[in-house]
Amino acid sequence: MDRSFSPPLSQAHFDDLLERLREAEETLDAIRHGEVDAVVVGGSSGQKVYTLENADRPYRVIIEQMREGAVTLSADGTILYCNERFADILGHARESLIGREVLHFVAPADTPVFAELMAHGPASGRSAELSLINADSVGVPVNFSVVDLDMGQDSARLLCGVVTDLTRSRQRSHELAAANARLAAEIDVRRRAEESLEVALDAAGMGGWDLDLAQGLIHGSKRFDEIFGREGTPGPWLVGELLARFLPEDRPAVQAGFEAARRVGSIEFELRIERLADGARRWIHVKGRVHRQQGRNGRLAGVVSDVTTRRMTEQQLRQAQKMEAIGQLTGGIAHDFNNLLMVIGGSMDMLEEHMPGDERSRRYFAAARQGVERGALLNRQLLAFSRRQDLRQEAVCIDDRVHSFQGLLERALGETITLQLVEPEARWLCTTDPHQLETAILNLAINARDAMPNGGTVSISTRRVVVDSERAQSVGAAAGNYVAVSIADTGEGMTPDVASKVFEPFFTTKAVGKGTGLGLSQVYGFVRQSDGFITIDSTPGQGTTMTLHFPLTDDPEQARAKDDAAVTLRGTGSVLVVEDDASVRDIAVRSLGDLGYTVFEASHAQSALDVVASGVGIDLVFSDVIMPGDIGGMELVQRLRRSHPAMALLLTSGYTGQAMADQPRPADVQLLAKPYTRATLSAAVDAALEKARARLRDPGKPGV
Amino acid sequence: MSVDITPEGFADDGSYNLRLYVAGQTPKSLLAISNLKKLCEEHLAGRYRIEVVDLLVTPQLAAGDQIVALPTLIRTLPPPLKRVIGDLSNTEKVLVGLDIRRRDNL
Ligand SMILES: Nc1ncnc2c1ncn2[C@@H]1O[C@H](COP(=O)(O)OP(=O)(O)O)[C@@H](O)[C@H]1O
Ligand SMILES: [Mg+2]
Repeated sequence: MDRSFSPPLSQAHFDDLLERLREAEETLDAIRHGEVDAVVVGGSSGQKVYTLENADRPYRVIIEQMREGAVTLSADGTILYCNERFADILGHARESLIGREVLHFVAPADTPVFAELMAHGPASGRSAELSLINADSVGVPVNFSVVDLDMGQDSARLLCGVVTDLTRSRQRSHELAAANARLAAEIDVRRRAEESLEVALDAAGMGGWDLDLAQGLIHGSKRFDEIFGREGTPGPWLVGELLARFLPEDRPAVQAGFEAARRVGSIEFELRIERLADGARRWIHVKGRVHRQQGRNGRLAGVVSDVTTRRMTEQQLRQAQKMEAIGQLTGGIAHDFNNLLMVIGGSMDMLEEHMPGDERSRRYFAAARQGVERGALLNRQLLAFSRRQDLRQEAVCIDDRVHSFQGLLERALGETITLQLVEPEARWLCTTDPHQLETAILNLAINARDAMPNGGTVSISTRRVVVDSERAQSVGAAAGNYVAVSIADTGEGMTPDVASKVFEPFFTTKAVGKGTGLGLSQVYGFVRQSDGFITIDSTPGQGTTMTLHFPLTDDPEQARAKDDAAVTLRGTGSVLVVEDDASVRDIAVRSLGDLGYTVFEASHAQSALDVVASGVGIDLVFSDVIMPGDIGGMELVQRLRRSHPAMALLLTSGYTGQAMADQPRPADVQLLAKPYTRATLSAAVDAALEKARARLRDPGKPGV
Repeated sequence: MSVDITPEGFADDGSYNLRLYVAGQTPKSLLAISNLKKLCEEHLAGRYRIEVVDLLVTPQLAAGDQIVALPTLIRTLPPPLKRVIGDLSNTEKVLVGLDIRRRDNL
């Protein structure tokens, strides 16, 4: 107001002043009555607004900053204030929103929800989810929460609202749900793969495992636990716990294997464990690979299988192969050795007639003959081992046999050892050679005696054993029924190492001169040749049980028993000796000559045929079986049988029995085993000639 | 900041142009907006235009209409300029102040 202005006031001027005065009074009045809550103060730096509630400034800043929409509504839903974010949500300019009804932006379907939200309770806050329609007419899902603002007595009602845009979180929860579903599907696929893997592994007898090197834990499948013999405690194994299952001497190899796996990325070993459940020693094969390398601590996964049976079978196979090879070798040596004995023995037979009668010469001569006999015995043992002895196959009751030579056994065992014969459940029959069986049992009894220098008990028992195909494979025999005879002693027993070698010829642990190492070799060859097998059960310090198994038979028909004649039979007639070994041939020729025969000789089959063809009149052809050249002994006698049916035929061989099986000789041609003595030769020649004469008398019968 | 809260369909036919000065969100400011909106709808339906000026945002605008206390309502049209101070909760006083109802009609 300008006070320097002094002329009298015009009416208009007066009215103006009056109006201004009224305004000033009203302003003061309004301030006095608290109708305003902010004043504008002019200053050098311009206008400034002071609100009477300046303290709310920080809150206003927060409201403006926050990511939620904030809105102040009148009771009828008019927007009195909103922050920038609220305007953003709706996509409108903030200015255009003030004074508008918020209902205008609520999706029609959500108006009842919104009405509910606006209507109720002054006391507490409440909220609802609804959709607001934005400037692009797109529904925006929001959470709308409101609270009544108490403005004091009879002031109009105000509501404060916070609006949260749910688009992102809805989207995120959709994404999350999708991700969850994807994950669930993946887990399902993996679990199925794992399941089928475990089934497949299980079918292969393999356990699966996974080693976490950082944690030192091994997770194994059910089969894994079974292989290690853990029952009833599921869950991972500690590395140390698992290592302790390995035999102490194998543990360093296990550790070395895992150490190396870190470097080379894979692991494989075959070592022994002691199974937790029953303490059994088992061979296991472990194979694995590093499959996740996290720094230095990787993970290893792999499989494990119990290979004990395979290893045992392999070992048995190796053993069988070794025995077979030794058998071949022994058989070859025995064959040559036989010929040597023939020469020595034959020469001695001839010398005997020209012997000076003095005592000294006779003694030397007897010693030499004894030497030949021992050599022949040794050779028979070797031939037995190489399964080339001539075996008789009869239905034998083992128990009867044992009883029949009980006296001999008791004498062999001596006084400090008790012989116990266990009464069997039944009198089973098996197919074998009864004499060889007795020899074998005697051999075993003598071994038992040697194992019990301070006395003890030998018990002999028989029983029936059923061998299934799996066991048959492992013992190298056919499946089926067997009669088993066990010779058990209470002696010093054998280590597994010794037990694995006892059947080898010349293996002995006995002092020089005491053992030959041929006893069990002979038993072995004999039992194998009888289509049976032997088992050893021996514990050092406790004793040994040797069990011989022979095929069970129901056929009680006894094969013919034949005893060799011990007398020299002289004869007449012409004999053709066919033999490739000159010394052996020489012996035969001289022996036969001494016996009274006219003798012709041939070194091989073809020249024998030539001799026969020359028409010299041969009564008997005495031929070796194995000879060099196109024609062997077997074929020779077959040809002669056809061309000269009246001719007597006799074969001889160092190999006998099954070695000849592939070349069947004519049923009535006898085979004289080498080495033969003059006596056995004379008997065989005589029998062959007699048979030929019988056939001549009665051509219908093939002869006996 | 100046906010125009004129309803849709306003025709410039010599009706009321109102300008409300507020100080942000003070309760009186909020009440004033609310009251003014209601009052206009009731008495000036279709004949008003409202502009809200927040002096916290643009304090320099206070000088033009010589505002000293907030909220203050100014009638810019029709002339003469009229001014009502306070939260506008006394409707009669506002109607008189804005010359919508003559003072002597009271
Ligand atoms: N009943 C047994 N108890 C302990 N060891 C045995 C027994 N039978 C055989 N053996 C072992 O097997 C080896 C070979 O036996 P064998 O072939 O009969 O030859 P030998 O009796 O001449 O030594 C024996 O030296 C001995 O070490
Ligand atoms: Mg022995």
